[in-house]
Amino acid sequence: MAMNETEKAIENFFDKEWSDGLPVVPPTEERLAAMLAATPRDPDESIGDVPPLMAPATVRAIALHAVMAGCMPAYLPVVIGAMECVLEERFNLLLLQATTSAGAPFVLVNGPYAAEIGLHGGVGCFGPGFRANATIGRALRLMMMNLGGGIPGITALSGFGGPWRYTYCVAENEAESPWPSYASAHGFGAGENVVTAIPLEGPVLVWDDASEKPERLVVAIADMMSALGGGNIYRQADMAVVLSPQHAQVFADAGLSRDAVHKLLIERAGRRLGEIRHGGIWRGASGAKRWPFEVDLHDDDAFVPAVGDARDLHLIVAGGSGSPSSLVMHGITVASRAVSRAYST
Amino acid sequence: MSEGSELIDPSAGSGARAIATAPRPASLAGKVVALLDNTKEQGDIILETIGAALRSRYGAARVILRRKEHYSKPAPDALIDEMAKEAQVAVAALGG
Repeated sequence: MAMNETEKAIENFFDKEWSDGLPVVPPTEERLAAMLAATPRDPDESIGDVPPLMAPATVRAIALHAVMAGCMPAYLPVVIGAMECVLEERFNLLLLQATTSAGAPFVLVNGPYAAEIGLHGGVGCFGPGFRANATIGRALRLMMMNLGGGIPGITALSGFGGPWRYTYCVAENEAESPWPSYASAHGFGAGENVVTAIPLEGPVLVWDDASEKPERLVVAIADMMSALGGGNIYRQADMAVVLSPQHAQVFADAGLSRDAVHKLLIERAGRRLGEIRHGGIWRGASGAKRWPFEVDLHDDDAFVPAVGDARDLHLIVAGGSGSPSSLVMHGITVASRAVSRAYST
Repeated sequence: MSEGSELIDPSAGSGARAIATAPRPASLAGKVVALLDNTKEQGDIILETIGAALRSRYGAARVILRRKEHYSKPAPDALIDEMAKEAQVAVAALGG
């Protein structure tokens, strides 16, 4: 294609209502064919309809959006796997499309294929610099906007949107984690390639270079998990805690397993009732009625957990060693739930 | 343009089928009105107030109240179909 034709095509796609505001790779028959060669699946196979517009995410359509996002063909199996997760009924993608909050599907990848395609889980993995991280997440968003019709201000009513809505995809840092992987903790085999989608708000940094023992390190993390503005303390839903390898090591050095840390976080993340009922989205008895546990609403010292069910907390190890920090990502509501699936390459 | 470099337009929205809106009744007199509660707090109070006004001021014969399972989940087709069988007009609570 002559350079001026490519430029025209890129400009043309900027004008689409469903543009994410960044230039796309123009989808040509050639590029589509190269992308489709990366999967044995039938291009006409539909993974599902993308709400609310309900256009079908066929394998061909997924490949087209992967091309536009800038994916290499080798990334396609992950993109298909991620779409399969978000189009499951329990994920309820419609929530993240229409919500007035700011959540997006967070995509976590486990297993050996991630490293083969350069999907990064180490230093800087949540930020720019890694083609697979950037483009796999972006392909998902382009499909939410085009196939799903999730257009800001029209059907996508998030007041802010957010940078995590451009792309939100990492591999777990299995190499530097002291524990078995997130996927293995969810019943998948050691060598399986697994993709998980979790409905989450953006990440908030918990910086702690002073805590050398679990009892102290859990304090700031648990505090962020039960932040009044975070929402989970009022409406318990999915939540992710991403420990850097350094923070994970603080727990592991004290002899704590993945399960033990998971349990510790759930025990500690919460507030006294008296702290939460004078602000935030406290709605008195009608809100507390939806809680998956009982709390005496006349007792200001009663403990209100930020995590309603052990399965709601997603404990992940990612990011770079040498960074004494972790991330907390709040969830939205129980109407949208995390989904994990094995994917084939 | 060289072969293989034909541009594909994956736009889904264009060429979407047009859905005709249902005809609006000229009046509510004698009509059955369905109220769909999305379960957001106090939405039921607003809907009940609306329902009472539609009966007293606009002559609606009857008002039926239905609830979604959760505000963030779409209403199931079965619920919409049931409402459509009984009522001619519906008021749905959104957002909140």
